[in-house]
Amino acid sequence: MIPEILANRNPLLRWDWVVNEWDQIQEALLQHLQLTFLSVLYGLLLSAVLAAFALRYRWALSTVTATTGFLYTIPSVALFGLLVPYTGLSARTAIIALTSYTLLILVTNIVAGFRSVPASVIEAANGMGLSPRRRVLTVELPLALPYIITGLRIATVTTVGLVTVAAIIGQGGLGRLILDGLRRAFWTPMTVGASLSVLLALALDLLIFGAGAAATPWTRRVRR
Amino acid sequence: MSGIQVQGSAVSRDVGLWEWFSNPETWTSERGILPSLLDTLTLCAGVMVVAIMIAVPLGASLAHKRKGEITATGVVNIGRALPTFAVAGLLVPISLRQGWGFEPWPIFIALTLLAIPPIYLNTYTAVRQSNSGAVEAARAMGFSERDVLFRVELALGAGLILAGIRIAAVQVVATEPIRAYLGGDGLGRYVRDGLGQNNQTLLIGGAILVAGLATATGLLMGLGERLVLPEGVRRLRVSQSRTV
Repeated sequence: MIPEILANRNPLLRWDWVVNEWDQIQEALLQHLQLTFLSVLYGLLLSAVLAAFALRYRWALSTVTATTGFLYTIPSVALFGLLVPYTGLSARTAIIALTSYTLLILVTNIVAGFRSVPASVIEAANGMGLSPRRRVLTVELPLALPYIITGLRIATVTTVGLVTVAAIIGQGGLGRLILDGLRRAFWTPMTVGASLSVLLALALDLLIFGAGAAATPWTRRVRR
Repeated sequence: MSGIQVQGSAVSRDVGLWEWFSNPETWTSERGILPSLLDTLTLCAGVMVVAIMIAVPLGASLAHKRKGEITATGVVNIGRALPTFAVAGLLVPISLRQGWGFEPWPIFIALTLLAIPPIYLNTYTAVRQSNSGAVEAARAMGFSERDVLFRVELALGAGLILAGIRIAAVQVVATEPIRAYLGGDGLGRYVRDGLGQNNQTLLIGGAILVAGLATATGLLMGLGERLVLPEGVRRLRVSQSRTV
């Protein structure tokens, strides 16, 4: 590490650096978004399959919960490290690890969502002659949506934070700015990277919340 | 000893994983696994003590007064949105400016912020959702508000509170390794050195250590919960966590 005396002299933020290195900042932000989006997307697809199994077979639920729970416990630094010998210092390594962290949250919420559908509603749908596929897609899924949206929010926000850690394997979007700033004791990239990653997490949280509220207008009536 | 400092993680790439793990030097040398583990555990224990001292009284008193419902979810949501690495990074220059050095305050504060939300949420939920019949009975029997909180609400909610503490502890132990990238050491240094030196033995060995510690923390604290909680309260926890 750089001697602390030198470190003390650097200002927290130099606007001229922000202006000059705008391209680099933009690229980091874009990579951050990309890693987050892909990981959550793959996580959602995989979780949908796992949740479908868990909802259909009793034995599958405990197995799925235990497995995804174990994956969730593995520290990110360790998981990135364990994957590097196989997939290298690549975006693939980051996405595999990040996807595995979304599973517990998403599966739990999808299962809870479908479980929350009242049996009477399902009976009514059956009574109206809906095919199982149509019943799931047009009745159960919309009713489970608030839970799924909550899961999606938590998974996305968590992933935004974990992407920064992927900087240790040369990925990491804004995390690379943070690590770069720390290594050189030049605080500007770090301040920019850290602030933007916090803002990004809050912005995406709000965005998904808004989208969820727009998609489930009937839940708004509950509020006074 | 000559003047040359021996670096604990300077290991030849030819040394295999088993060879590294089975060498006593790896464990006991000045910068070996055991001192690093102690370093990590000390920091995490300190973080947990501070987080519990903040989150439990705050969550319990607010929930007892039926206040701060919105704050409870807000704290948890914002806490989740704060990337620990970014927070710790932002605190490093501030800490240096104050003359406190790289360690331990930036990572300590960032980890504390990580640990508070789950403990706060579970404490709040435990007290808020404690059996209203039991609470009313206690009041009718002449319990003071203090006794209602300590001897009924907190006692009945102990399982949920301990579960929150366990979840927080696992997260803290699992996140602490990023400290190796914030000018510190701890158990995460092996992964850092393994990546930096392109040394797979250090990398995999370090990753196993870090993952093992997180898993062990979860298991041991889960076991501790079973030992500490009376049978009746333990059964309560199960039914409670289903509704949460």
